[in-house]
Amino acid sequence: MSDRTTTPNEAAAETVRSRPRRPWRPRAGVTPEQAFRFSPRTMGTAVGLFAIGYLVLAFQMPDYTAVSVPVQPSTLPRWLGVVLLVLAVLLFFQRAPVDEAAAADSTSTDGTSTDADPAQDAARLGRLADPRLEIGLFVGALVAYVALFEPLGFVLATALYLGSMTWYLGYRRHLVTATVALSLPFALYAAMTWGLGVVLPSGPLPF
Amino acid sequence: MGMLDQLLHGFSIALTPQNLLFVLIGVLAGTVIGILPGLGPMSAIALMIPIAYGMEPTSAIIMLAGVYYGAIFGGSTSSILLNAPGVAGTVATSFDGYPMALRGRAGKALAIAAISSFVGGTIGVVGLMAIAPGLASFAVSFGPTEYFALMVLGLTAVVSLGGNNLVKGLISAVVGVMTALVGIDSQTAIVRYTFDLPELYEGVEFLIVALGVFALAEVLVMLNRRGQGGARKGVTSLRLSGRELGRIAPPTLRSSVLGFFTGVLPGAGATVASFLSYSMEKKIARDGDTFGQGNPKGVAAPEAANNAAAVGSFVPLMTLGVPGSGTTAILLGALLVLGVTPGPTMLADNPDMFWGVVASMYVGSVVLLVLNLPLIPVFAKVLNTPRAVLVPLVVVFCVVGVYGLSFSVFDLGLLAAFGAVGFLMRRNGFPAAPLILGLILGGLMETNMRRALQISGGDWGVFASEPISAGLLAVALLSLLPALVRAVRGLRRGRVGPSSPEAATDAGAVPDGGSEDQAPTPRG
Amino acid sequence: MLRMTKTHVSPGTPGSGPARRTPGFRAAAVGAALPLVLAACGSGSGTAEDGTWAPTEAIEITAPAATGGGWDTLARTGARLLEEEGLVDQSVQVVNKPGAGGAIGWAYVAGHGGDPHKLFVTSPPVLLVPMAGNSDHDHEDFTPIARLATDYMVYLVPADSDVETFDELAAQAESGEFSVGGGSGPGSMDHVALAGALTAAGTDPASANYIPFDGGGEAMTSLLGGHVDAAVVGTGEALGMLESGDMRAVGISSPERVEAVSDVPTLVEQDVDFTFDIWRGVMAPGDLDGAQVAYYEELFAELMDTEAWQEESARLGWTDAYQDSEEFGAFLDDTRDEYAEILTEVGLQ
Repeated sequence: MSDRTTTPNEAAAETVRSRPRRPWRPRAGVTPEQAFRFSPRTMGTAVGLFAIGYLVLAFQMPDYTAVSVPVQPSTLPRWLGVVLLVLAVLLFFQRAPVDEAAAADSTSTDGTSTDADPAQDAARLGRLADPRLEIGLFVGALVAYVALFEPLGFVLATALYLGSMTWYLGYRRHLVTATVALSLPFALYAAMTWGLGVVLPSGPLPF
Repeated sequence: MGMLDQLLHGFSIALTPQNLLFVLIGVLAGTVIGILPGLGPMSAIALMIPIAYGMEPTSAIIMLAGVYYGAIFGGSTSSILLNAPGVAGTVATSFDGYPMALRGRAGKALAIAAISSFVGGTIGVVGLMAIAPGLASFAVSFGPTEYFALMVLGLTAVVSLGGNNLVKGLISAVVGVMTALVGIDSQTAIVRYTFDLPELYEGVEFLIVALGVFALAEVLVMLNRRGQGGARKGVTSLRLSGRELGRIAPPTLRSSVLGFFTGVLPGAGATVASFLSYSMEKKIARDGDTFGQGNPKGVAAPEAANNAAAVGSFVPLMTLGVPGSGTTAILLGALLVLGVTPGPTMLADNPDMFWGVVASMYVGSVVLLVLNLPLIPVFAKVLNTPRAVLVPLVVVFCVVGVYGLSFSVFDLGLLAAFGAVGFLMRRNGFPAAPLILGLILGGLMETNMRRALQISGGDWGVFASEPISAGLLAVALLSLLPALVRAVRGLRRGRVGPSSPEAATDAGAVPDGGSEDQAPTPRG
Repeated sequence: MLRMTKTHVSPGTPGSGPARRTPGFRAAAVGAALPLVLAACGSGSGTAEDGTWAPTEAIEITAPAATGGGWDTLARTGARLLEEEGLVDQSVQVVNKPGAGGAIGWAYVAGHGGDPHKLFVTSPPVLLVPMAGNSDHDHEDFTPIARLATDYMVYLVPADSDVETFDELAAQAESGEFSVGGGSGPGSMDHVALAGALTAAGTDPASANYIPFDGGGEAMTSLLGGHVDAAVVGTGEALGMLESGDMRAVGISSPERVEAVSDVPTLVEQDVDFTFDIWRGVMAPGDLDGAQVAYYEELFAELMDTEAWQEESARLGWTDAYQDSEEFGAFLDDTRDEYAEILTEVGLQ
């Protein structure tokens, strides 16, 4: 049920058919478009707190005394902090948009498929029921990749990241995944390090 | 005319088979390097210098000119296809280029980029030949006072880029300026907002922010967007109808001229030029409110401007011997290594070289067009990649770009952080474009303001008493008027109406064609 | 007295004299500032009798800046010539570690203490940035290998200016109405070159209105446009402007006149007892032994003897100024003291 609305070539490429994968359903409580969406009050408060923190630091900044300068390095930050605080207050008192979900739906699907399939059944990438966890997981994977970037070296870390993410996101041609995950990092490494002299970390690999 | 003879002579040098081959190599290499984010024309040229070294100087310069053009074009390619601007100057291109690609018009967007780049480059070269010597005085007439006014004018674009929720747009812009201030203050050497992290002493690299809030944020949105994500089928033909060409012609021409003059100013450059022209066209165009949603004019304008500016930045280099941008600084280095000293005396002492360079720039841009138009369908194939494969690839692409730029894992962490911030902004209707604008122009504005005041001894009157600065500030004020009127009217009509936050505010990616029936407030 | 001591350059005669390549380890002369080298030399002279040291893996030259800058140019030029001229058996790689005015790169090299395959290129910021408190490492954490080349500062005024000599410039600057542009921030190279010269001319450097720009090019365009009244920039950057006659130099910071701008009088000639070098050199991590240092000293001396180096450095406007490890170390210490004195005068220390 989930994939039939897509074009043939895509369905073939990005098949979700054979494995019983949970198609995402709105009943999960949070639609993907609502995930991480906050009310103006929450946002206003967050921005306001940021502005206050920024201002505190701005007022702690030392003045430059060696030579007399007409504008201190802290002058603009103080003004920016005040402006941001005012904007945060304005944001706080904005009305929450009512038609948010509807608007989001029509914008976050793309133009060509809106007519065919606006919102309901198409599958999302990933495997978790809650889109917020999905985003969290993705960011977590990115952080892990970055953390391993130098210890493992570019080639290994990238191969690991590419392979696992592509698999996780549901691409089922494992041979293609493996080929891409193994050859692309090496090709990039070769081009950057040997071709251009932009040295990427090699990690434990001997080259 | 002597000039024409000289130019023809220049062409006779540039058009030998051997040199044509070098142009070809240069353009190809430049395009490939430029597609990698983080490696813009600046790095591309720096990296090609060892290869150019040992070649015959003219051939070497011709090749480097090809690299230069190729790299700029390569940057627009990744901007349009992946929302991952490879070069600062092509960030504005992604505002409309990526939405076009999402709507299955990637081929057209790339073709428009190629053609308007070509036009921009051509107009720039004509300007360079015809009026370069006279422009030297224009270039030096801009001191700190004038730059401050120019940056203020550029920043007023925040209002038009901010979409229909002015408060959110302004918050974005303020945060952008705040980001620009991180690091050691160039005027007093006092550290600001670095939290004692040496990695932040030189500030936050612009490209990290751009890749984070555009490319990574887009990837996150893609991740839980329903549907197969595939607008991505049907990369339509790249053919442009006569009508389409007619529509983009005026913006392209205007932006080329604006871009050229902006490029001539040593402190401004291609990035500032592309933003200025984008916001100018958005204000001028009758369909200005569809900018940010895949309007072809929004691709043509910044592309024409950044190429014209790239050529314009040769003016201070050739006439003053002063590099006007990072890229020309590298090129200056390359020229020196090749035994050519650009400068005030170059035109008189070494006309062959001057005209050779001019002609080779022209040849480079022609070859680029000829070479890349057929390649566009190949590039655009990227969009047919299944999303599950594309998503991790874009991430790797951004990571390589940032690492290749700064060789710092810390910066990769920053990239991830800005990706998360950009995603939250997208979700909550904060436009990303003002943030980028604030980041680029905010720092320059502050530095030049303080420089100007330092020179004047703290007298704020200089901004009004210097004619150029006063004029620019007046234009800035005027350009704010319609927005102010609108804001007041909007308030009277019952609060600022922030409905459908993503629909019109998000210049980064608003794919839907529903803007006409959706845009709730009369704008533009 | 503010002077750059021991900066005698051998102009035009680069590889001359066998003396400068003799790896003389007269430890006593080095002084306490180089404990690491000293220790290394002490043990090194004992073990080195077996023979000399040679690199066993690829040599990595770190440029503590992004691709395209001055350090990057030096690193890449050096690496390319070392390979092309067949001076090394191993490959030579350039690694860019930009950030924090060099501090990121220095931290990277300092993290490889004792590794004889990790060199980096250096110039005055290696002294100035730590003095400003913006680096966890200073030059004493590293082993000096060799000073290679140098460049000087020129003090520019517009061609139609009334200012004819450096003393006049100094007098104007003291009035406070007169702004002097430079290519780098306060407390950095250009500012020190200005402040030191002003002090030597008997004026108070703190009263000068120094305007920092992003690079000498911007400072010069501002000077051309009349936005500032004078500028202090590197000689190489100013060559074009001086040739065209748009600007005049009222002084150069070299000990003797420089060939490329032979009509520009030195400060010393004008009885302003001050010289300033923009020297460039190579350093290595701490804890290298004597044989390793000797190998690299010899290597870079050979490099400078090559015709290719001569061509390159002439194009880049550098003057050869070779010093071996020991001389370079002593030079760094002296220079730091001098900078400290200047910065104190300006009120920046």
